[in-house]
Amino acid sequence: MKRRDFLKLSAMSGAAFALEGCGKQGTQLIRFIPEENLIPGVAVWRPSICTQCSAGCGIQARIMEGDAEVVRNGQLGTVKMGLAKKLEGNPEHPVNHGKLCARGQAGLQVSYNPDRIKHPLKRVGQRGSGQFAQVSWDEALQELLAHLGPLASQKNPATLAFLAQPLRGQRRELIGRFLSGFDGAELVPFEVFDDSVLRKANYLSFGFNQLPTLDLAHSNHVISFGADFLGTWNSPVAQSLAYGAMRQGRSGLRGKFVQVESRMSQTGANADEWIPARPGTEGVLALGFAHVILNEHLRAAEAGGGAGDLIDGWHDGLPDYSPEAVAWKTGVAPETVTRLARGIASHTPSVALVGGTPLAQTNGLFTALAVNALNGLLGSVMKPGGLLFTPRLPLPSAESSEAMPEAQRVVSVRTLAQEILSGQPRPVGVVLLYGANPVFATPPEWHVKEALHGVPFIASFGNFVDETSSFADLILPDHSYLESWVDDVPESGTTVATVSVAPPTMLPLHDTRAMPDVLLDLAHRLGGRTSQALPWKSYEEMLQTALAPLRHLPGSIHADSDDEFWKKVKEQGGWWSANGSIAPKPKDAPRTFRPLKNQEPQFDGSTAEFPFHFLPYASQQFFDGTLANLPWMQEMPDVLSTGMWSSWVEINPQTAGRLGIEQGDLLEVASQHGKLRAPALLSPGISPNVIAMPVGQGHEEYGRYASGRGANPIKILAPQVESTTDSLAWAGTRVSIVRVGKGELILFSLGPTEWGQQGVTR
Amino acid sequence: MAHRWGMVIDLDRCTGCEACVAACHAENNIATVGDAEAARGRAMHWIHVERYWDGEFPNVRVGFRPIPCQQCDAAPCEPVCPTYASYHNADGLNAQVYNRCIGTRYCANACPYTVRFFNWFNPVWDKPLNLQFNPDVSVREVGVMEKCTFCIQRIKAAEIKAEMEKREMKDGEFSPACVQTCPAGAMVFGDLDDPASMISRFSNSVRGTKLLSEVGAFPKVTYLERESSHGNE
Repeated sequence: MKRRDFLKLSAMSGAAFALEGCGKQGTQLIRFIPEENLIPGVAVWRPSICTQCSAGCGIQARIMEGDAEVVRNGQLGTVKMGLAKKLEGNPEHPVNHGKLCARGQAGLQVSYNPDRIKHPLKRVGQRGSGQFAQVSWDEALQELLAHLGPLASQKNPATLAFLAQPLRGQRRELIGRFLSGFDGAELVPFEVFDDSVLRKANYLSFGFNQLPTLDLAHSNHVISFGADFLGTWNSPVAQSLAYGAMRQGRSGLRGKFVQVESRMSQTGANADEWIPARPGTEGVLALGFAHVILNEHLRAAEAGGGAGDLIDGWHDGLPDYSPEAVAWKTGVAPETVTRLARGIASHTPSVALVGGTPLAQTNGLFTALAVNALNGLLGSVMKPGGLLFTPRLPLPSAESSEAMPEAQRVVSVRTLAQEILSGQPRPVGVVLLYGANPVFATPPEWHVKEALHGVPFIASFGNFVDETSSFADLILPDHSYLESWVDDVPESGTTVATVSVAPPTMLPLHDTRAMPDVLLDLAHRLGGRTSQALPWKSYEEMLQTALAPLRHLPGSIHADSDDEFWKKVKEQGGWWSANGSIAPKPKDAPRTFRPLKNQEPQFDGSTAEFPFHFLPYASQQFFDGTLANLPWMQEMPDVLSTGMWSSWVEINPQTAGRLGIEQGDLLEVASQHGKLRAPALLSPGISPNVIAMPVGQGHEEYGRYASGRGANPIKILAPQVESTTDSLAWAGTRVSIVRVGKGELILFSLGPTEWGQQGVTR
Repeated sequence: MAHRWGMVIDLDRCTGCEACVAACHAENNIATVGDAEAARGRAMHWIHVERYWDGEFPNVRVGFRPIPCQQCDAAPCEPVCPTYASYHNADGLNAQVYNRCIGTRYCANACPYTVRFFNWFNPVWDKPLNLQFNPDVSVREVGVMEKCTFCIQRIKAAEIKAEMEKREMKDGEFSPACVQTCPAGAMVFGDLDDPASMISRFSNSVRGTKLLSEVGAFPKVTYLERESSHGNE
């Protein structure tokens, strides 16, 4: 506040104000007229959607009246408003049925985070210095228009790229339509733990370009190849719910669960049997099971269907995958291969899952196709207790969320960086950022940082300054998700076609604007093609128009008019089809695909110089690092290591003993591409030739709770990709380790605890 | 009418996801203490998940055990309190009156389950994190012991609601934050004095055990032990 304004205001009201900078701070602020009418002490529940990961769980926020310090029209004061106090799962929602995971529970600390960007910012220091100054929304929008306007002209050779977290539903539609106003514009979806390998495999094997819905509740035998389905992969809450039912939901019947992975995950810790196969050989093991099943005539090869046809040698009984041959490659004993194969063939319904590390190898697609073929053989595709696929929403925009119209190109962030640096096929004039942080989460040799340095103009819609948005010239901060209209179309986790939609649960705390409404505003001001593609005045209007046709379908809402329908959608937090009313429809996969032979995984670094496989993994608290700025998540102990507020390097006790490493020693982990330091954590659940590290810490620029804490394993990864997609092969790097001194582990429990000592442990 | 609140935790369903831990923080205004204090063992988690390793590589198994306050019938924490801050309430809960607590920490020393947490400093909530405070739960200060209450604010709210509607409380009409959010459905809460309640049935399960039953504290949390299907081909 300027001194002159302050005096003016004091004179006008005559009330007592906080004298800023006078030593006694915050004695009293002016009170704004309440913007909502809530009864003090009485809670109301409002639906919303969790955006902490891409599962798309429905939530409800407990809203109670409170005093918030807010800025209204440039003036700081307090106002009585509805504040979200607690999040719970939405009991009606078909994905999570009222349940919520730890990361979802911590969502409140996104909205109330002290490091949120509170108003538009313009860069004042050097690019990447993180120095910004406050500007008004008008100035910010004018500035962005000044850069977008020329790109909208068809004569301009330069184009626009929208770098965002993967988006679905109308948000994706909106961005697609916005980009259609710019020739050659590119959508660049980015997440480090991306599942595009599995989507591609599911498309080739089954005709579904999506992640599976797992009907574990009816499975008798589950074998998972690396999929952390109870922790961080796919739709963890839906899968945990189904897992609980598989174990104890049926009288006298307890489903068996086997996990194949070389570093025990939270999911693997729940397995009846944990099988540490060599990294990158999981597909071979899956085909070993298929070999036993085929050769013992437990199933016919034809049962594999289209998925089987994709595997070389399938119809000859997979001669290259005898238990002995498989044992030699995978390190799993031949009798174990035979025993497990017979188990999954006889204890039906059984299902095989694959995700995470096995697919983050150069041969990821082969592994996924092998597991898919095994599922075909087991008869678990589109069957109770097996793999299901969520039906598509019967809306035109649902199709476009799968394949964007031809006008826009979807490229990977690696390709974008190459395009920016080379200026081919056309120069990139403006990059818009939204919720993706590739500077943190890509290997340095993808050169994302260097590329961003070379972009003439970068604007970010993010809530926070992170490693990527610190490169922005302009920041137009979005509302938090509890303050916004939210919409999503879950890809998996349910058997009914679902669209989640909800209005804001609370008023915005800061001078922020919702990204979709800013895009609509920009389109309107740009005019021409962009404005024609986006005729709506508000995002609510766009959502309402898009979803109106659902009223006539059997589903969760009966309404006589469009208005009534919309009212009920907002109350319920979305719409979902009646059970069985919409069937999932597979697409014909291309017939040109030639059967795949076993492909050996390629690892970066020689075994002599870099003796260990390096497995970064999605952390239970921070997922890919996006949640590292939440203090609740920082202080929540990792369940296997009990580590808090830090990073660690997991190492097998035998390996540690051989190298003279003790618990807590500081290690230097080196690949061909970089080095990092973190304390050693001795863990019985990891292969002797594997080193693992959680992803999420090691932020340079991400607020007070995350910055300068721990180490980022992605920074030493090789720039390898899965060979048929542009996905990062994040599990394909080899490293060496050396003890460099004494480090410090921050653990909640002291030391590994033995089964026999259950009791007082902390 | 008094109740006897209890909890059953099915270790065969529990996946160690710690949704209960985060939900408890959000519901009960539990402070985070930061890295330096956490390193000294002062992190406060009214419910935490213990992890037990069994065997050596490659034949390793893990057991998880979520541990809230066991709300003992013969609670060792209660008789040691010189100010009656730790007391046994009518519903059988081991309640803690923060205003009476003078911070002797005798109760934490006496508790065999290590589920009592001491505020060594005044908690810090960087603004506006404080806007999240649940107004139904008091915020504790330095020198005060705090612990799991089975979400007594939810119990009271449900009691008042039932009274206003002139009816008995229904089994399952409310649950503590940890139980409500548990994704695997591993936790059940209810009245042990009601023979028809879910919890009464589960408490009598053949898989039911009590933690550290040899100390004789008679906890009201029952654990249903994990089963194994290994070798069951």
